[in-house]
Amino acid sequence: MSRQASPARQAAGTVSALQAALTAEHAAVYGYGVAGAHLTGSKQAAASRDWVAHQEARDKLEALLRARGSQPVAAAVAYRLPIRVRNSSGAASLAVLLEDRITTAYLGLVALDTITVRKFGALQVQASALRAAYWRGSTVAFPGLPASALAAPGPGSGSGS
Amino acid sequence: MLRGTVAADPTRRVVLAAAALLPLAAVSGCGSVDVLATPPSEAPDVGLLRSAIAAEQIMIAYYGTVLHGARGPGGGSAAAGLAAALEPLLAEHRAHLAQLQSRLIIPVGTSASASPSPSGRAAGAHPVPTAPAAAIAFLQAAEEAAATALLARLVTAPSSLAQLFASISASEATHVPVLDAVARGPAGQAG
Repeated sequence: MSRQASPARQAAGTVSALQAALTAEHAAVYGYGVAGAHLTGSKQAAASRDWVAHQEARDKLEALLRARGSQPVAAAVAYRLPIRVRNSSGAASLAVLLEDRITTAYLGLVALDTITVRKFGALQVQASALRAAYWRGSTVAFPGLPASALAAPGPGSGSGS
Repeated sequence: MLRGTVAADPTRRVVLAAAALLPLAAVSGCGSVDVLATPPSEAPDVGLLRSAIAAEQIMIAYYGTVLHGARGPGGGSAAAGLAAALEPLLAEHRAHLAQLQSRLIIPVGTSASASPSPSGRAAGAHPVPTAPAAAIAFLQAAEEAAATALLARLVTAPSSLAQLFASISASEATHVPVLDAVARGPAGQAG
């Protein structure tokens, strides 16, 4: 259905998906600052590297929005983080949560019909999934996709015989 | 009901499940499925899905070959460690394949040739090196290629399929550093 959407509706959908991704990036930039304060050594270096990556992604999203004549959403002064970070394992858990949210937000861009935005979204889905896997210490089969988006395996869902 | 209806229409051998479900949901209240008489266009989307399915089947075959070698006689603890590291990645590929296949409706009674055979050497597959280190490097390259191929496929895919492709591509990208760690660990150095 969305493929037949009017150009105006399509543009509105693109802007709202870009704003959603930008909101998630603002939260990540803030969150990595908190996480980094609880980390040392190579983990702190990784958090710092990821913090920079999120700033770059944020800048790119802002540019994409401005190119569409839209005012990018501003960062909040502070964010209510999904968990309270007290130590290094909490910092890693926070990073996983932030990256999972961002992966989902970028999947929103992948659903759009604008090819450049879709490609950018897909590359960011990869990047955030890689960061999430690092902090989680393991991989997942469907980064960013909610369970509700996946067909339950079992009768009626397979390829048939 | 969905599959039966699709099968009853000989001109509709295969349709995208997501596309087919949408009109069905829209008329679910009146008990009619006549809306499938004007189904969405089929060929390009199904072709994308079929190639993604074939690619996953090849990855699963690759992992199966490497794991078979690791479980063979004389493997030792390094081989056991290799198998333990690869099993979760193989499980994720199997999950990818199941999801991709669930997006295709293949009517009952359609010939098996409609779907690439998972048995034997899949079309487009390359021989897997037997030495552990070479095998891991081979899997890494295959994961990278598979992730990149999905990025290309998702450009022209319908939205929901594009999202699935992007997620699977990301999952495959995350396998690369795992394999890198395996290669630098004791299992990888065994060969």
